[in-house]
Amino acid sequence: MTMEQEIEVLDQFPVGMRVLAVDDDQTCLRILQTLLQRCQYHVTTTNQAQTALELLRENKNKFDLVISDVDMPDMDGFKLLELVGLEMDLPVIMLSAHSDPKYVMKGVKHGACDYLLKPVRIEELKNIWQHVVRKSKLKKNKSNVSNGSGNCDKANRKRKEQYEEEEEEERGNDNDDPTAQKKPRVLWTHELHNKFLAAVDHLGVERAVPKKILDLMNVDKLTRENVASHLQKFRVALKKVSDDAIQQANRAAIDSHFMQMNSQKGLGGFYHHHRGIPVGSGQFHGGTTMMRHYSSNRNLGRLNSLGAGMFQPVSSSFPRNHNDGGNILQGLPLEELQINNNINRAFPSFTSQQNSPMVAPSNLLLLEGNPQSSSLPSNPGFSPHFEISKRLEHWSNAALSTNIPQSDVHSKPDTLEWNAFCDSASPLVNPNLDTNPASLCRNTGFGSTNAAQTDFFYPLQMNQQPANNSGPVTEAQLFRSSNPNEGLLMGQQKLQSGLMASDAGSLDDIVNSLMTQEQSQSDFSEGDWDLDGLAHSEHAYEKLHFPFSLSA
Amino acid sequence: MEKLCDYFFIYFCPNLMICKNLFIGIAISNKLYIFFFSLLLPSRRVERAMDTLIAQLQRRFCDFTISLYHQGFLDDQFTELKKLQDECSPDFVAEVVTLFFEDCEKLISNMARALDQTGNVDFKLVGSSVHQLKGSSSSVGAKRVKGLCVTLKECCDSQNYEGCVRCLQQVDIEYKTLKAKLQDLFNLEQQIVQAGGRIPQVDI
Repeated sequence: MTMEQEIEVLDQFPVGMRVLAVDDDQTCLRILQTLLQRCQYHVTTTNQAQTALELLRENKNKFDLVISDVDMPDMDGFKLLELVGLEMDLPVIMLSAHSDPKYVMKGVKHGACDYLLKPVRIEELKNIWQHVVRKSKLKKNKSNVSNGSGNCDKANRKRKEQYEEEEEEERGNDNDDPTAQKKPRVLWTHELHNKFLAAVDHLGVERAVPKKILDLMNVDKLTRENVASHLQKFRVALKKVSDDAIQQANRAAIDSHFMQMNSQKGLGGFYHHHRGIPVGSGQFHGGTTMMRHYSSNRNLGRLNSLGAGMFQPVSSSFPRNHNDGGNILQGLPLEELQINNNINRAFPSFTSQQNSPMVAPSNLLLLEGNPQSSSLPSNPGFSPHFEISKRLEHWSNAALSTNIPQSDVHSKPDTLEWNAFCDSASPLVNPNLDTNPASLCRNTGFGSTNAAQTDFFYPLQMNQQPANNSGPVTEAQLFRSSNPNEGLLMGQQKLQSGLMASDAGSLDDIVNSLMTQEQSQSDFSEGDWDLDGLAHSEHAYEKLHFPFSLSA
Repeated sequence: MEKLCDYFFIYFCPNLMICKNLFIGIAISNKLYIFFFSLLLPSRRVERAMDTLIAQLQRRFCDFTISLYHQGFLDDQFTELKKLQDECSPDFVAEVVTLFFEDCEKLISNMARALDQTGNVDFKLVGSSVHQLKGSSSSVGAKRVKGLCVTLKECCDSQNYEGCVRCLQQVDIEYKTLKAKLQDLFNLEQQIVQAGGRIPQVDI
């Protein structure tokens, strides 16, 4: 639409905009209806989420915007939000009496355009039309780009796509592909992939057939073949994840590799690992995804609500729920070893693909700190094992949050997530820097166990003070000693936007970082982090995404 | 009696004929002396009497409303609701508060039932009910009810059975009190309208 046309639309827009209001509380519904009518919108109300869905399915074009309550007896508001976003791609505004940021975050992650608190005021409702306009603009842009409108668009798209994708492995290939393509490719953007995931989730991985997925996704210009090839890659990735989870890696190899890496990377490696980003791997982009994945894995407990996964690019899967991670982690000490092994195993393959020293994804490795020390503190695990065990679910639920551009991850192996994290949101990072490890600890429940903390900080400590291999590192020490910028290097800028969402730190940090990340997509295509070698859950995780980073 | 009134009206105050019935209604129900007064006085005086009546009612209305706000029964949200009421939806506020009290009843009885299951209290259910009540009370502007809901929610989260029971009783009392007060307020409004007056804008 041209500017003139848009302006025209805007003029008529607020008046007569068709809103569907859903709330089981009749008092609030009545008030909401009157408020909306006062704003001169055209309102339809229902107190059943099921009815709302039917109304929407009946005719997608009947409504411009949906406002939905969060707590409803027949269906969770977030679930409705996801479904609407997936099937109809309408802007949805959440409404709730919960002012807890957790819920707001959940709403954002599920793709809500806005989150209003009860009691609703008319001033807030007067502005909701902006979401409709914004969304339609985005849609227009997306369709323009996916039609292959320009190289730079493509490049941007690619980057965006790449860091949205969790699989890093084929980054390099992906980068090459667009230029080599002979026919218009379908770019599996974040949104597209989310829809795909939601559809698959809806149907069940086993029963997901391209035709049905295509129908469910309901995207124009997407052919069955596109979906089929995408699905194939998805399946391969899934399989790989499950395979990895079973295997035992050679930890020593990994450790040594890791040590080498760490010596240079310092914290970065650790953090990478922690976040599930392969450190030192050439193709880092998976890292971001891993990171996201990682955190989301951690919060698997909370993932159910995510259902079909993250929908909107808006939220990364990260901030899922750090608290959950802690709980989960505590219960999985044993798996860590496995993870380590996995990582080790992954290493050889990884390094074979990589020129850089291996990515030492496993937190365990990091935790082990010194190369010599083979003792793996019983870390509750930063969730690597957790990730592995949940990887499949996670993957399908993985938020391809666009916010974490994989390209950022691409930065050199040394670029640790931490680096990226630090750099990416410098305003964010700096203040967060100190807090992140702490929050990481806290959020991941490390605080609950000294060992965990030790593990967590261990690499940090190690990096900072090579001589000090022992004992738990206190947070204070960590903070003092850790200088994220120290070993974090290169490509920090790249990682910046991408890695912001490291699961360390508070949700706010993550969100902030995500926001900034979105803006810095240019760094995206930077380096190729080859995650092939990452047998570690995170690596495998990334691999999962690999196929999907390719255009279908 | 009515026939007599009719005769007097027709004779003495022809211009008041149209509101005769109202007048009689009000007179009989509230202010009989005005009726008699009107019988004896010319129409201008009757009008002024009516005005006095309306003014009195309006003053009572304002005072009562202000007291409700000051005593914490109502808050700004209620003011907002009043603003939404207009010619298109003249009974909006009454409608909404009616719905609210219905919800109150339903939710409180749900919670009471849940708390009755001694030894097996479903605090989650109580929590979700109180959350919903909190939402609606805050939307309506029922300040005291909302405050009690917050307390009740806390008791629920900490699974404090005694606290929950006590809080719930208070919520029950509170919403019934509010219901009675709002009923009085609406009655006053009706009287003003019936007397031919305009409901005053009360600035809190």
